[in-house]
Amino acid sequence: MKKNSVRVWVGCGIFCIAAVLLSVWYAVTFNDSRLVVLMDFESYAFTPRDLPMIVSILLACVYVLALFIRLFISIGKKQRDPAASNTTRRLNPKLGLLGLLGFLGFAGFWTYSITGDVSPFVFLLFFGFFGFFYEGKMSGTFMDERFRENAVRAQLTSYKITFKITLIVLIILCRGKLFGSMEYTLMAVIIVLSLTLALGIFLQEYLLYRYDHDDHMEEGEA
Amino acid sequence: MALFECRLKKYRQLKELTQEQLAAQVGVRRETIMRLEKAQYNPSLKLAIDISRAVEAPIEELFIFD
Repeated sequence: MKKNSVRVWVGCGIFCIAAVLLSVWYAVTFNDSRLVVLMDFESYAFTPRDLPMIVSILLACVYVLALFIRLFISIGKKQRDPAASNTTRRLNPKLGLLGLLGFLGFAGFWTYSITGDVSPFVFLLFFGFFGFFYEGKMSGTFMDERFRENAVRAQLTSYKITFKITLIVLIILCRGKLFGSMEYTLMAVIIVLSLTLALGIFLQEYLLYRYDHDDHMEEGEA
Repeated sequence: MALFECRLKKYRQLKELTQEQLAAQVGVRRETIMRLEKAQYNPSLKLAIDISRAVEAPIEELFIFD
């Protein structure tokens, strides 16, 4: 995407967010928070004061839809471009820090004790983002046949490890209730599945880097 | 452990090609050529043919399997 078109997209995004915020403020201040708080849509009757909320939400939806379409088109273009499809994608290794988001998963213990909600445990998946560090280190690498073979090898190894861990843990957990509670057992299953999937995502990049890097270690110009 | 003997280095030097130049000619990375010369990488048939054409040597002379 060109810089100008990125600016246009970012500008439209900011405009949509501003429109939604303004209409929310208007609805809360002048329209009894209609369409902001949960309401019964079966008995809904349109009033002109609902217009700002309806228009801004429609705008935001159209923007998100257009953004997705634009992304799909640019991905398709990249795949058709042989020069771009022969090199790994450009990525900053610092993006690996996104893996720290995985710690959000531990919020599940807190939400479980307050509301009984266990869904935040899924955020443990974000630990897989640590793999961006190694992917970033290999960004822009020319993918020849040996690189592709290594990528497949790394993928298979990570899948094997992930499935083995998942299977072993599930067998252990299915033998009996954890601390005598089915709820704890299911929580443990969610945690283990999230962590092993994160491990799988991370391992793919790490192993590929290791296979490639180990090769470099032994090399010297002849 | 090498499963085959590779004489690529000899033929490459005869053609006065660097690993970088040969890699560019056959569309792989220099590291791949390096691994090939050490017989640590088993190339695809296409790559083997491309290399034999690049160094102008018969494929069975480049890669010798027991």
